[in-house]
Amino acid sequence: MPKKERGLVELYHDDPERAEYLVFGRKAGPDRRGFLKGAGLASMGAVLGTTIPFSANMPAGLMPAALAETVDDFTFDAKHADMIVHNDRPVNIEAAAHLLDDDVTPFDKHFIRNNGTMPAPMSKSDWRLKIDGEVNEELELSYDQLMNDFEHVTMRAQLECGGNGRAGFNPTPRGNPWTIGAIGNSEWTGVRLSDILRRAGLKPSAVYTGHYSYDEHLSGDPDRPSISRGGPIDKMMDPHTIIAIKMNGEDIPIEHGYPARVVAPGWAGSVSQKWVTRIWVRDREHDGPGMTGLSYRIPRFPVAPDTEVPHEDMMVMGSMIVKSAITNPVAGAEVRAGAPFEIRGQAWAGDNHVVRMETSIDFGATWQTAELHAPHNRYSWQRWKQTIIPPQAGYYEVWSRATDNQGNSQPMVVPGWNPRGYLNNACHRIHFTAV
Amino acid sequence: MKKLTSLCGAALAALLLAAPMQASAEERITSSADVPEDFEFHPLPPGEGVDEVYYGCIACHSLRTVTNTGFSRRVWDELLDWMVEDQGMMEPEPEVREIMLDYLATYLGEDWEG
Repeated sequence: MPKKERGLVELYHDDPERAEYLVFGRKAGPDRRGFLKGAGLASMGAVLGTTIPFSANMPAGLMPAALAETVDDFTFDAKHADMIVHNDRPVNIEAAAHLLDDDVTPFDKHFIRNNGTMPAPMSKSDWRLKIDGEVNEELELSYDQLMNDFEHVTMRAQLECGGNGRAGFNPTPRGNPWTIGAIGNSEWTGVRLSDILRRAGLKPSAVYTGHYSYDEHLSGDPDRPSISRGGPIDKMMDPHTIIAIKMNGEDIPIEHGYPARVVAPGWAGSVSQKWVTRIWVRDREHDGPGMTGLSYRIPRFPVAPDTEVPHEDMMVMGSMIVKSAITNPVAGAEVRAGAPFEIRGQAWAGDNHVVRMETSIDFGATWQTAELHAPHNRYSWQRWKQTIIPPQAGYYEVWSRATDNQGNSQPMVVPGWNPRGYLNNACHRIHFTAV
Repeated sequence: MKKLTSLCGAALAALLLAAPMQASAEERITSSADVPEDFEFHPLPPGEGVDEVYYGCIACHSLRTVTNTGFSRRVWDELLDWMVEDQGMMEPEPEVREIMLDYLATYLGEDWEG
């Protein structure tokens, strides 16, 4: 787990006036009170989420008490020790490949990709889900209504960050340097979003959704959503897209969206808004933070690495694409030469499913077809396994390659570079040594 | 004569400066794993402008966001604009922004290993 960085409290302790200047741009007046020409007042107000009525009296170097309080409902101890921490504010954690070995991903091995703060849990009794926009009747549903008034469905579902694999691109695009573990396949229980939208009644103008949640933007500005993405109405009306209220049979942990979240399986995880409080049905493609510019978008045509792509040449990503992970052996394992051992893993393909799984232990010169299990349900990842015998002592790599029902397979090298580094589905590789 | 002196002075200064700069370039830390844990601005590597970058970023997010990947000066320049225009960062004064950009491009450039 990462060393804790010095927080604002400690910074203020060292040199409060300099901290204030660099954090907020604040310069106090000559009497060491107030804000000289207003410098820093707006940005401090933005972090606090309100104005400061007695700002003229506020002493220099006095950290706002609101910032000294921390939310501590989540700790890294809740996660498996082999999880890879990319960031702690916002929290961004992925699984090492061998942690993806479970058919149903336990809480402690499921990646976390936050855009904003880790919120303090909102109580079930306070929580509401608002449905508005292009609907005949606006709804405001309580947790109890979701529990009692709608049919519940349970399914295993792959949720994968759109940037999973980003670290493989060169030059590395902005964003978390995910390797392969920003994917999970937990069991989710909830209400079909289509049932909710039908109850509200979609107008013919309804083409897209926009999702909002109760976590906060990192700047603390209450008018700024942490992220607000959505999806085309067809995906949202798919019976596998749900408002989930259980993860693996229990209340959803805070880091995964307590008390309720969208699960739109097979698409970039950001469509599956955690801590969801509102589904805004739109008459056009949603344009919240994370929908526009370069975010969760890919070029309409292939581009050379490091190209500056004009925003109008970018389009919103849809389904994730075919991919596989080797979950056994663990990277760097030692095995016995000449003795059989099992290599295995998981494979998935967004809206599609996997129909063939192959592995190679000779750097792709020859491929062997692996045993591939049918998905437990549509949108679940699929187990694959194979017994191999390393013929002699030495260094080996297992490469894995999945092919989906549309005939798409994983490239052996990194596929098309794009400005934010999405959709890298190159073959997974794990090395082992035979002795 | 005066001009010549000042030129010589400049050359001398350049020579004097070049030696330590070269040394520091060789020893420059290129991975956050090599930044001493007790360095007050960990995980940022030491360098001119490290405190401006640290304070300028930590109000909203951890410094891991900054050290995860190295970028060219052009990308860091865009990222600073993006932070101010889209992400609610307090707009630094121009001279502070320049110090931040110099630090990022120099110490967290494309050779930075993360």
